[in-house]
Amino acid sequence: MTATMPTTARAPRRAKTKRSNILTIAMIAAAAYFLLPLFWLVVASSKTSADLFSTFGLWFSGDFHLFENIRLTLTHDDGVFLRWLWNTLLYAVAAAGGGALLAALAGYGFAKYRFKGNRTMFMVVLGAVMVPTTALAIPTYLVFSQIGLADTPWAIILPSLVNPFGLFLMRVYAESAVPDSLLEAARIDGASELRIFFQVVLRLLAPGFATVLLFALVHTWNNYFLPLIMLNDPELYPITVGLARWQGQAAAAGGASGDLVPLVVTGSLLSIIPLVIAFLFLQRYWQSGLVSGAVKQ
Amino acid sequence: MLATPLALAACGRHTVDPPAHVTRAQIDEAMRQPTELDFWTWVPGIEKEVALFEEAYPQIKVDIVNAGQGNPHYAKLRTALRAGNGAPDVAQLEFQMIPSFAITEDLLDLRPYGAGDLAPQFVDFAWSQVTGTGGEIWAIPQDTGPMGMLYRADILDAHGIEVPATWDEFAEAAARLREADPEVYLTNFAPAQGAFFAAMLWQSGANPFGGSDGPELRIDLTSPEAERVARYWGELSEQDLIAVDPDFTDAWYQALNSGKYATWIAPAWAPTFLTSAAASTAGLWRVAPLPQWEAGQQVSSNWGGSTSAVLATTRNPIAAAVFAQFINTDRESTDTMANEQFLYPPTKAILEDPAFTGQQLDFYGGQEVNALFADISTTVAEDFQWSPVQEQVYADFTATVGTAVANKADAVAAMEEWQARIQEYAEYQGFTVRPS
Amino acid sequence: MTATTETAAPAAAAPSTRRPQRTRRNALAGYMFVLPFMIVFLAMFVVPLAYAAYFSLFREQIIGGNVFVGFENYTRAFGDEALWTGIGRVCLFFLIQVPIMLVAALAFALALDTGLTRLARTTRLAIFVPYAVPGVIATLMWGFLYGPDFGPFAQIAEAVGVGVPDFLGPDLMLGSLANIVVWEFTGYNMVILFAALRAVPAELYEAAAVDGAGQWRIAWSIKIPSLKSALVVCMIFSIIGSFQLFNEPQLMQTLAPTVIDNAYTPNLYAYNLAFIGQEYNYAAAVSFVLGLVILVGSYAFMFATNRRSRR
Repeated sequence: MTATMPTTARAPRRAKTKRSNILTIAMIAAAAYFLLPLFWLVVASSKTSADLFSTFGLWFSGDFHLFENIRLTLTHDDGVFLRWLWNTLLYAVAAAGGGALLAALAGYGFAKYRFKGNRTMFMVVLGAVMVPTTALAIPTYLVFSQIGLADTPWAIILPSLVNPFGLFLMRVYAESAVPDSLLEAARIDGASELRIFFQVVLRLLAPGFATVLLFALVHTWNNYFLPLIMLNDPELYPITVGLARWQGQAAAAGGASGDLVPLVVTGSLLSIIPLVIAFLFLQRYWQSGLVSGAVKQ
Repeated sequence: MLATPLALAACGRHTVDPPAHVTRAQIDEAMRQPTELDFWTWVPGIEKEVALFEEAYPQIKVDIVNAGQGNPHYAKLRTALRAGNGAPDVAQLEFQMIPSFAITEDLLDLRPYGAGDLAPQFVDFAWSQVTGTGGEIWAIPQDTGPMGMLYRADILDAHGIEVPATWDEFAEAAARLREADPEVYLTNFAPAQGAFFAAMLWQSGANPFGGSDGPELRIDLTSPEAERVARYWGELSEQDLIAVDPDFTDAWYQALNSGKYATWIAPAWAPTFLTSAAASTAGLWRVAPLPQWEAGQQVSSNWGGSTSAVLATTRNPIAAAVFAQFINTDRESTDTMANEQFLYPPTKAILEDPAFTGQQLDFYGGQEVNALFADISTTVAEDFQWSPVQEQVYADFTATVGTAVANKADAVAAMEEWQARIQEYAEYQGFTVRPS
Repeated sequence: MTATTETAAPAAAAPSTRRPQRTRRNALAGYMFVLPFMIVFLAMFVVPLAYAAYFSLFREQIIGGNVFVGFENYTRAFGDEALWTGIGRVCLFFLIQVPIMLVAALAFALALDTGLTRLARTTRLAIFVPYAVPGVIATLMWGFLYGPDFGPFAQIAEAVGVGVPDFLGPDLMLGSLANIVVWEFTGYNMVILFAALRAVPAELYEAAAVDGAGQWRIAWSIKIPSLKSALVVCMIFSIIGSFQLFNEPQLMQTLAPTVIDNAYTPNLYAYNLAFIGQEYNYAAAVSFVLGLVILVGSYAFMFATNRRSRR
């Protein structure tokens, strides 16, 4: 099946159709299910530790503590939360940006060029996803440690540059979005292959690129296990590991851990917000990017 | 060089041969050299104690790293030790983990650095916990957790129940309370809290790994002393007289706040912990000694508490050893730990200091909680020994005895299964197992 | 994913009609584009994986050091009851969770695509938002909601006077975990399916509508068949995700330690072998065995769908 070009996805065409109340109610009920835990998170963020454990979970208690909790979260331990937020941003942007570029280059290469090992290499990359990396963390750590990368930001950024799903998507996308005739025309004009890529192809790949970028962003943002193993220095932690550390301290069976439970809850809320905003604003791009990625096989 | 997977790592790893005895002059010389020490600890606010050390030894700089707590901390420590770099000079270790790190030769014996002279400063059980089977001193005690019983005076009073002094009375009280108020349990048995169960075994006089030495592991979880603990908790659970909720979870915090549990059998660090974890119950709690197997006895045990250990890979053994000793023995440093970090002290000096024992905690109705635990500290049995594979022992506890108690199944039979599992694992790891 | 490479062939075949010199230049350029990705892939993925494979051929004991044991760890894994119980459990999990998730995702995508719902953009985003929530936080939230005494479900059940379902008990745990995964990934799958639907040419529907076909009929006869390849992609990712299940059970273990044991899922088992039991070599072998199972499962699935479509 040949997909239509992603940019020409159907425009809303049914202004005339009558809306269905049953369907709307069903969808709103579904949305409520998906929002329920987040609603709990907002409610819980507005409570003191004492209220958190003694009042009904799905409604606000009399004492609205949200802003105080946010202040506490941002200032605890000399504002280390902001440091983690910054680290997360750095890792996510570097890994997602670099990873999307690598995936775009390679996806385009796999899609549009014929060379020995094309198919094999592509399959090996996709096959590698099948091996779970959790228990391989120790060998991986040993390798990284030998080359001096453990406990540095590179230990998080470099592995996250490999994005097999991104490669898959970009390859499929490049096949449909980049017409061969355009490449031929550019070649006849004498443009080098690299120049063709950066001046012509990259623009055509933009929606796919944005999709890969966003999904890689989420992936790196939510990355927990890799940084947990690779990083020892709390100054380098991303938010997920930092929050887990706070949670560990909150549940500390060993003395004065301070009152960290509300900070974990509020910190969780704060850490989700940037991603939700990113998805909201880039909605148009990633959705059209997926259109071809999902269809064209 | 052998072509083993760890050959790479092995060359980075160098173990210091401790000199027979380091002289005063050598120590002074080393402490004048500009040195950087890495210290892994999860004690919040320990910067103060470290600053005191840096003040005393201006040439030494200490980097504090909080690499996690409990199992994540140990996993990271092991990984760094295997990699041959990235491991700290000094690390916080809980008492039960000392043999597990000593067996892999990752700890530095502190005797050559004068640690032996410190013994009289510490309560006896704490010192015997850091002493190896060959007399090595593997670490310096930082804090302890002698066991007592925190109870809700209001709940017991309301039902006219006396504070139980023996386990028999405790079981009777559990039944009476359950009858009087079906919403309340006398206590909670956390099925994944191996450390609590170990403390119960310890108090009962069981010493399941006692006599283990190096590659020889002795396991005895079926002794009468061990069995009576399993039977006791198993029967309470079978009759639904105790709750069996996992601890340190949201539900557990809520239960503490709502009064679902009338007691928490817990160590000396628990009173401070409860102050923030169950803030809504301020003033309602009191503390009593641990119930006894025999009326009139006073025997306690320990749950938790930590030490400072020097890792064998350190390049600065003298500075590291002096640091571990300083923060845990210097008077100002230990004072700060006890009164600002709220770590329960192992040093006699603090335990006998009225400024510490005389503190009246409002949360406990003005009771002198520290004084009570100071007394308990001296009643902790000394000879309890941990296994060299303690993480596995705890994991297997949860899978066998913990689960049996939670499911109201046969806890005594589960003890045999626990023992069998440890034995199978230990043999796989190359130990010679001697059940007895 | 074999399907991909098959359709790729014609695209790549086109330039072959040109002069050989051109082809060589073309091949060189191809390598140039692919190289950066492959270098990073090799260094960050293949090297550690190869090292881990090598590592899995040894056995290091706490007492007795490190010895080469060949495939002993693999023979142990193939006879390891705990591992295969775990694999059986994730199979069951897959059978419960994936159909629910994909049917829900499909239903939402179709409902949104009809254009018959109000607030479509808002509901679409609401369903998708959980994907942006880290698994760690998702499990934290659901763990609270499942709470046996104080969770809101328990409180509501008590207020209504019905028995409180034990979400964290042995009977419901797999379902509770499935619910978390459904919550996290339905939106993600919905967005993929929805995007695929938008790419189906509108004329197809309009023609059907003119012929008097209702929405149900259009959905069943035109839309769903056109989603086949997108559904295959969703399935493959679901197979990988289910068999590698780790975060959710690991975090739920603190809430239900007697229900979720250390070998509850194969990945959790491998993790605990390495980090609790210090059986690093065996843990690596277990990971590779699990990888093999996933590979076989994915290929079996693709083989089955390909055969059916050829019939």
